[in-house]
Amino acid sequence: MEVKLYKKPRLRSPIMLAAWPGIANIGLIAVDTIRETLEAEEFGEIEPWDFFYPKRVSIRDGILEALEFPSNKFYFKKTEQTDLIFFIGEEQPSGGEKIYAEGGKAYRIANLVLDVAEKFHCKRVYTSGAAVAPIHHTMNPRVWAVPNSPELVAEVKKYENTILMSAIEGREGEGNIVGLNGLLLGVAKKRGFEAICVMGEIPVYLQGLPLPYPRASKSVVEILSRSLGIGIDTSKLDSWAEQLEQEIEEIYRQIPLEIRGQLEKLKYVTYAKPAEPSPITEEDKRKIMKDVDKFFKKRGRGSE
Amino acid sequence: MSKRSPFKVYRKPKFQSSSLVVGWSEDAGQLGPGVIDYLTQRLGGERFGEIEPEDFFSLSGVRVEGDVAQFPESNFYSCQENNLVIFRSAAPGFEWYKFLNSILDVAEHYCGAKELYTIGGMVTLSTHTAPRALLATASSQEVKDILSQYNLARNMDYETPPGQRPTLNSFLLWVAGRRNIPGVNLWVPIPFYLVTSEDLKAQKRLLQFFDERFGLNIDFGDINHEVEEQNEKLAQARLRLPEVDDYIRRLESNLRLSQEENERLTQEVEEFLREEE
Repeated sequence: MEVKLYKKPRLRSPIMLAAWPGIANIGLIAVDTIRETLEAEEFGEIEPWDFFYPKRVSIRDGILEALEFPSNKFYFKKTEQTDLIFFIGEEQPSGGEKIYAEGGKAYRIANLVLDVAEKFHCKRVYTSGAAVAPIHHTMNPRVWAVPNSPELVAEVKKYENTILMSAIEGREGEGNIVGLNGLLLGVAKKRGFEAICVMGEIPVYLQGLPLPYPRASKSVVEILSRSLGIGIDTSKLDSWAEQLEQEIEEIYRQIPLEIRGQLEKLKYVTYAKPAEPSPITEEDKRKIMKDVDKFFKKRGRGSE
Repeated sequence: MSKRSPFKVYRKPKFQSSSLVVGWSEDAGQLGPGVIDYLTQRLGGERFGEIEPEDFFSLSGVRVEGDVAQFPESNFYSCQENNLVIFRSAAPGFEWYKFLNSILDVAEHYCGAKELYTIGGMVTLSTHTAPRALLATASSQEVKDILSQYNLARNMDYETPPGQRPTLNSFLLWVAGRRNIPGVNLWVPIPFYLVTSEDLKAQKRLLQFFDERFGLNIDFGDINHEVEEQNEKLAQARLRLPEVDDYIRRLESNLRLSQEENERLTQEVEEFLREEE
């Protein structure tokens, strides 16, 4: 079990962006969009067999030709503003039927990713994921940001369209980030890296569906690109969101009228601490989340 | 802190070199357990080791099957006279790479295993009246050439379809290949309506191969008798249940059944065979 680097690029205090799949793959799509736009070059991988069950076998003329595992690759890009390292994990090493990694394997793979960050003297690590929120799909998703040190809070507060956990009513700055997109933040803290997790909002009623949510990925890309000082074209995410709009509307129409009536109220909700009285009460919001959870019988609310 | 071994070996078998045969306790048509159990009993296999379950199985409780509590077992048997090491196990739910390496560690280091054979049933739309083919996937051209003297289908092309995963047998063959242990995955197509029952004809087909390959001198009298009995039961099912006969007849004519008809046929055959037991 090790990291294999095919080349050792000379990078100046790079920033690492790491992502694994999660709810609607919001973080993964965001980080991968930046990687793809910048045409970052692959330079290494984590040997996968200790972490993953293979995903494909090829048998040719009666001989086992290849066994393919989920990929865990490192990429780099030197830009005028900053040097970047990307880590893209195709799956979380969850084992069994769980979606998210946990325990020893999760800790080991997080450390392997950070070994590379250490080797190249990364000055910061960003991870990305999804934040399940009581929002309506017609709203522009915000980004929830969680830094791993108090020193970063002031910086995060300056990000546009971004909120801290403490700005979300009822949370009092507390919450959970499930899976590796969250764990990496903690392991980075333990190893002395500054790190921030940025999570794009997804409406609570879309969280369990096998659909991406490119609008949230776009919000994350905007935050990251501004923070890194690089321009990223998000038009592909816009077209993707447009394509999915009809499908989402169709799903929305299938929700029973009573629940949909509650969801409609979310169009007018500011769930972050409001400056003016909110048009619906906290009790309303709790009822909406409860009804939606009951209807979809999916995962409980939270962030990944 | 010392590293705990994932396996236990109670005694070291006296092998100069051996062949490893692996079967899983849950397999289509009971192919794996049927063949493994027959071989261990017929060849006087002695249990000499096991893989501990704690790293590889969800031990959150026990599964009850046929009114009886089950527990995942992963046992090694030695058949000294025939230079065979047999491994029978439930399929692990976690840490597959470590589990598969543990099998090979025991077989290689304690038994001098030089080659690997895995057993697996392959679900097909063919009927029980069709002859059972034996398909082989080799780890290399050399292994494929060695197998040419046996009546095997050795030219399979296959790619895992989207949404599915490779079998544990493919994974094991690949791990063995990394350790320079030559091997072969053996597959017998099982009619879909016999998947949860026993496909004795398929078991016989595989035993014939092992008999020939390892010179086991198996007396097939009792097996032939059991196969005939099962064929007779299935013939009775067709006689007594016209719907079953119709479905099988259509399959024999290479016609496809609807999903609902497939399920109905499977259910009817399962129930009939259970009642006849």
